[in-house]
Amino acid sequence: MRSVWVFHLNTGACNGCDIEILDVLTPYYDAERLGIKLVGSPRHADALLVTGPLTRQTYYAAKAVYEAMPPTPRIVIAVGTCACSGGIFYDSYAVHGGIDKLLPVDMYVPGCPPRPEEIIYGLAQLLGLVEKKVRGETYRDEEHEFRPEAPIVDRLWYDLRQVLTRIVGYFDRETVLNEFVSLVKEAYRRSNPRQALRSLVEEYCAKEEDPRIALAMRLLLNEFETLVDRYRDEGYPVEDLLKGLE
Amino acid sequence: MSYVTLPYPFKPVEAPPEYRGKPVVDPSKCIGCGACANACPPDAIRMEIDEAKGVKRLILDVSRCIRCARCEEVCPMGAVKLSREFELATPRKEDLVTVIELKLFRCRVCGKPTEFTVRQVEKAKSLARYLPKERFEEILESMTLCRDCRRSRYVSKLVEIEIRGYVGSMGGLHA
Repeated sequence: MRSVWVFHLNTGACNGCDIEILDVLTPYYDAERLGIKLVGSPRHADALLVTGPLTRQTYYAAKAVYEAMPPTPRIVIAVGTCACSGGIFYDSYAVHGGIDKLLPVDMYVPGCPPRPEEIIYGLAQLLGLVEKKVRGETYRDEEHEFRPEAPIVDRLWYDLRQVLTRIVGYFDRETVLNEFVSLVKEAYRRSNPRQALRSLVEEYCAKEEDPRIALAMRLLLNEFETLVDRYRDEGYPVEDLLKGLE
Repeated sequence: MSYVTLPYPFKPVEAPPEYRGKPVVDPSKCIGCGACANACPPDAIRMEIDEAKGVKRLILDVSRCIRCARCEEVCPMGAVKLSREFELATPRKEDLVTVIELKLFRCRVCGKPTEFTVRQVEKAKSLARYLPKERFEEILESMTLCRDCRRSRYVSKLVEIEIRGYVGSMGGLHA
């Protein structure tokens, strides 16, 4: 197939996927260079770009659109998680849960919403330009060795991450926390780790230009000391474990 | 090639670092606790207990995943991560399903499969071994039982305590 003319069919989507489809047609992504053209009527279309979880309201409309298409090739592309399987709405009484409940689907493009590149990748696969990359896999536990390592230190790390999320958010938290962990490791190599950690954090904050990171570091120090005290009172040798960190 | 247009799919592109793509479960870290299945809003991750085969299955269906990263947030082992992989389009839906099979722990008294995995017990042991010895042994004793055996053990202990209390209130056994 050289060029695919597509008709965009919304079966109750939230408009997220629809906007990504518009993105695909902008000069930056330019799907028309691949021969993909958006047409205004299903009678001119080779393919349907379906978005949405197929609500009960749109069921018969979707059927009518499919029947209005020319008998061949009648390609159906499910764009977005909703069209693939119903997504977050899969168990709602108002949806059928995916366009594959009504029509045979040729290409699934999951994503909530999918990036424009993802949609282009799906279309390019139909045109034979790229190969499929994903495949279903089954893993068994005997094939993969399991080693629970230093669970208390892990627990400490997750607790500190939770605290840090409130200040620096989800994206930057691990970078900041890794900085702090490197300070902890250095402090626990010295003779008086508590005092050493305090002075190390102070040094770090004096050098740091971003006051938000300095604040986060001081908060982490405070929280770390509280947690270590709590674990020690409960009988866990947490300071010995910290000294053994590499 | 023109100046503005991205040459994708002829040249590969990378998703930005903050992009949340396909969730990937590390099979060497997953203990099968089901925290992710509990947290997943669209039930893209499910836990299934197969007593006949003695395994617990984690079934991750990416075609239903909305990339909210709640699973990454709640995973106690750091086993689930949302990768930056985005080239997921496929003509077959089965390509998007990942299954992890974990062996179920068998009760040390009756030998029936319990509802938790071998790895969960290993993890709990590694956490409890820092406790005082008596507490560790006490925990280990109740940890390695199935639900029914644990219940009967609890009831028999309760009965023992009740009888002792009753007899004690009558002035002891030899009164």
